[in-house]
Amino acid sequence: MRLERVGRRYGPRGPWVLREAVLDLPASALVRVVGTNGTGKSTLLRLVAGIDAPSEGRVTGRPPRTAYVPERFPVALPFTATDYLVHLGRVQGLGRATARARAGEWLERFGAAEHARTELAELSKGTGQKVAVAQALLADPDLLVLDEAWTGLDTTARAELDRAVRERVAAGGTAVFVDHDPRRLAGEADAVYEVHSGAVRAVPAAVREAPREPRVRITASGGKPLPEGLPGAPAAEPQDPDDATRPLVLTVDAAHSDALLAALLAASWHIHRLDSEGVRA
Amino acid sequence: MTALLRYQAGLLLRSQRWLAPLLLYAAFLAVGVRAGEPVLGALGFSTAGLVPVTAWCVRICLTQEPAAARNVVAAAAGRSRAHLAALLTGTALPGLLGVLAVLGLTAIGDRRGVGAPAAAAAGLLATAACVLTGAAVGALTARPFLKAAGWSVAALVTGSLLALVTTGSPAKHALTALVTGARTTTAQLPWLACAGAVLLAAATAALACRATAHLE
Repeated sequence: MRLERVGRRYGPRGPWVLREAVLDLPASALVRVVGTNGTGKSTLLRLVAGIDAPSEGRVTGRPPRTAYVPERFPVALPFTATDYLVHLGRVQGLGRATARARAGEWLERFGAAEHARTELAELSKGTGQKVAVAQALLADPDLLVLDEAWTGLDTTARAELDRAVRERVAAGGTAVFVDHDPRRLAGEADAVYEVHSGAVRAVPAAVREAPREPRVRITASGGKPLPEGLPGAPAAEPQDPDDATRPLVLTVDAAHSDALLAALLAASWHIHRLDSEGVRA
Repeated sequence: MTALLRYQAGLLLRSQRWLAPLLLYAAFLAVGVRAGEPVLGALGFSTAGLVPVTAWCVRICLTQEPAAARNVVAAAAGRSRAHLAALLTGTALPGLLGVLAVLGLTAIGDRRGVGAPAAAAAGLLATAACVLTGAAVGALTARPFLKAAGWSVAALVTGSLLALVTTGSPAKHALTALVTGARTTTAQLPWLACAGAVLLAAATAALACRATAHLE
């Protein structure tokens, strides 16, 4: 599938939200879309999913089955979780029995099996999001579009969604996703596109942010100035100029933390505390 | 398409949003129709009420899903097809009501000078004309054309009234045929009005289904 110089504006005289977007979405590819809020990421995903028609340019080679997970899934629908999934499965071309079986399987996988017969309106936000994710995976879509689909899921469900996305891609599908967490499927994307004030550009593999190693934060203080050329080139939070005795916080890759500690101790610095940074569930 | 229709009908029936237009139509018939009244006159009255009721029902079906749920279905089935399913579901319920009303009124009305089959045929054709005209009004006064609820409802009411009184409207044409028939006790079959309404509804549906992916 390909987006050729696609643009989108809301209404015939509205401002352009997106212009001249060129995207290549081959089969068996995981594609990430990055960019700050309000730059047109969601608009781009809606065009990819076929929800909106482009105001200019064209989309070619759309695969037959598309599924979309919205950022916030409203649970104000008068169905139980299973009934909703069966309806959506049938809309995506499954038979009733298959749709029902798959609905059960996916709710089970995301740990929401006990809510299968609960009315959507009574579901918690997190369980509602599990239903939203399950509907997209029911019918093995060729194109899976995820707009911050991980938001609102618990840790196990997030890991399960990661797995499901990998399975889809391995089975020849295309997955396009936006997520605020840079570590989401980090290093696995086959292509990264950055949306910036309505323009889309491909981010070359070489410049992509590598998955960060866990980093160690060292809080230390010392009377003497810091030695030059500390191991691992730690990032130091600027020392308070008014208070020289206030501890300094140094952050360094885990691989260099021992050497840095040794260097600080050798310089007769005092270590207040050690902790790891940036690793959150 | 069957799956989409089933989904839309499920939404409409399970949300109980069908109840309000149904009650409105029942009240309209209860107030305006008496047993033993000349059958064609009663049919003219009952089919006229279908125009606003259908417009309302179509609007309900077009707006009953939250936007995100609509996007999910649009991605799975295509936005135009999803819109068409909502239009068809919103038209089917008043259509069914209209058919029941025609059969009931033909049974209880005064059929002097007019045979029951002729009266029922005239009534059914007029029902089709009014339901399809009402559906066109509903489709044009809801999303994607009018998104603000206030303007949409105002346009829907005005549009329904205009569809009933404007010369050239299929609904007005069909009602005139019934009312004239009641005066002369001859059942004229409003074929032309019915055909006009089919064309109007088809053109409106095509326009709305095409516009929805562009305007929203």
